[in-house]
Amino acid sequence: MRTRALIAIAAAAVLVVAIALSLAIGARAIDLGTVWQALTDLDPNDPEQLIVSDLRVSRTVIGILAGAALGVAGALMQALTRNPFADPGLLGINAGASLAVVIALSTGVATGFAAQVPVAFVGAGVAAVIVYSIGARGAAAGAPVRLALAGVAFTALVSSVTYAILLLNDQTMEQYRLWVAGSLTGRQDYDVTALAWIVVVAIAAGLLASRQLQAIALGEDAARALGVRIGAIRTVIIVIVTLLAGAATAAAGPIVFVGLAVPHLARALVGASLPWLLVVSALGGAALVLVCDVIGRVVAPPGEIGVGISTAFIGGLIFALMARRMKVVEL
Amino acid sequence: MRILRIGPLGISTHRRTFAVGLVMLVALGALMVFALSHGQSSITVLESLKAAVGIPVGAPADFIVGQVRAPRALTAVLVGAMLGLSGAILQSLTRNPLASPDFIGISAGAGTGAVLTLWLIGAGSLWVTAAGAAAGALATAGLILLLSWRHGIVPLRMILAGIGMGFVANAATQYALTRMDMHEAGNALGWLVGSVTGRTWTHVSVAAICLAVLLPVVLWNARSLRTMEMGDDTARALGIAVGPARMVLALCSVLLAAASVAITGPIGFIALVAPAIALRLTRNAGVTLIPSALIGALLLLAADQVAQLMPTTVQLPVGVFTAAVGAPYLLWLVWRASRGGPA
Repeated sequence: MRTRALIAIAAAAVLVVAIALSLAIGARAIDLGTVWQALTDLDPNDPEQLIVSDLRVSRTVIGILAGAALGVAGALMQALTRNPFADPGLLGINAGASLAVVIALSTGVATGFAAQVPVAFVGAGVAAVIVYSIGARGAAAGAPVRLALAGVAFTALVSSVTYAILLLNDQTMEQYRLWVAGSLTGRQDYDVTALAWIVVVAIAAGLLASRQLQAIALGEDAARALGVRIGAIRTVIIVIVTLLAGAATAAAGPIVFVGLAVPHLARALVGASLPWLLVVSALGGAALVLVCDVIGRVVAPPGEIGVGISTAFIGGLIFALMARRMKVVEL
Repeated sequence: MRILRIGPLGISTHRRTFAVGLVMLVALGALMVFALSHGQSSITVLESLKAAVGIPVGAPADFIVGQVRAPRALTAVLVGAMLGLSGAILQSLTRNPLASPDFIGISAGAGTGAVLTLWLIGAGSLWVTAAGAAAGALATAGLILLLSWRHGIVPLRMILAGIGMGFVANAATQYALTRMDMHEAGNALGWLVGSVTGRTWTHVSVAAICLAVLLPVVLWNARSLRTMEMGDDTARALGIAVGPARMVLALCSVLLAAASVAITGPIGFIALVAPAIALRLTRNAGVTLIPSALIGALLLLAADQVAQLMPTTVQLPVGVFTAAVGAPYLLWLVWRASRGGPA
């Protein structure tokens, strides 16, 4: 208990450092004193302070939201599917959200970012249910290869449909490009308060349901004996994961592997206790997205690369290394 | 069992496999005639056939068929054959119907290699791009082997490592795209979609040369492949050098996939689906290389015809159609496997 609390505090400290980096580093490096002044006592005539308060703060907040949401979503999915390779991005939930947004845009159902968010949630939910029922149920449930391939195949199918709609409709392409930039920028004019509430409430609900979920992980019979309503808990968890993944995709575009790598690392630190795992995953996910975003800002001057690209690069390697460590029977 | 002899060379083949191969050839020929003669400007079948082989017949046909339709159709046929062959080898080597170069990151690595070549060397000859794609694909394949090697190779572990490396390679491609200048990046993006539109005789000749070099090597080792499917020990007992044979075949599979990516860009699912269809049609127990190649050619040519016939304002790239057919098949494979069926 005490070590776990210490680890959570350490994760929070890492997150604070990541926030400081995210506020200070970019096309123009700004020293931390100026950053602090911009946060506490803004001088509207100092361009450096304006960069921090206008651009970097909103970018950092979005990064924290998306990272925490993805970390928790990944941890919950892994517990639900009993599969260490479950990740909302890898399973095509992002792709489902994208397709739903594109369909809504091309049919004119949803114009404007605010209307697209609920549409993205619907797409994410449908995708989650489809991939979960194809790859994670049945006799051989929990085999990583099946789940990963179901996700890859589903993503390929959904993205080819998305792509076809986009090619046939210039106007949709233009709006979609703005939505799917896959980065933390370009959302300054959108109020993320609603998304922040969704993420906070969903994480809290995940924490509340985590004990029951952990009981299911012991085996369905054991869980039933402990009085857990298995079907209800599963449904609740899928809803929570959908909300988190949908919110993260709406806020920051498609990001893969954060939900895979962070819970994996967190499990190595805090062990199997799901509530602690969720807390550490939320903190670590936020820190990872911020660090990846900072890396993306500096590796390709004068431009930037989206946070989705740097997380895919780092996460893909972690994924391959995890595959290496699996025992044959676990595949 | 029957022996097919051409001079001193002989290939033993099952009667049914032989018949399936013949039917596929006829179907391919018919589709080819359709591809050459059908299009927006009406040119008679006879004229288009003449124009395709270089006999001058007059103004529109010489250009439309001779320089547009014929190279496009031939590129589709050759690349489809490469993909079918590459997938068949990989599935046989891993003994797993889920393995295919487009899912285990090989095609993505080839794409990265080609884009890096475009970025660092510039758009030169197609051979340079192809060499870059081959280097990228080989490097990715090497990394996958390195990452999944643990007291030997387990196919499922290799597939997972490959999926991960695919993401890494695509991220590297994206990175290169952001660093290239706008014009080059636009070209590279168009090519990364995967399409046979606008291919010329240069593409056809590169494809033909690659296939002409690699196909004999593959067929030479085909018997080892068939024997290795019975198990490494059996193959060794029958006098097959399992290690070298596997190495050569894997190399051929990777190079075929890389060449296809260099010529048309990544086109998904043909390499996955063609060998599976070949197995079902021929009812063979093991690998069927030639039928897989023929079916791959047929699939890509047919998908391209569908793409051209679609009454859409913009012609959709052929990869959209191969994915529309292939992805449900892969989902079905996974669904069946997760219900305890064969993986």
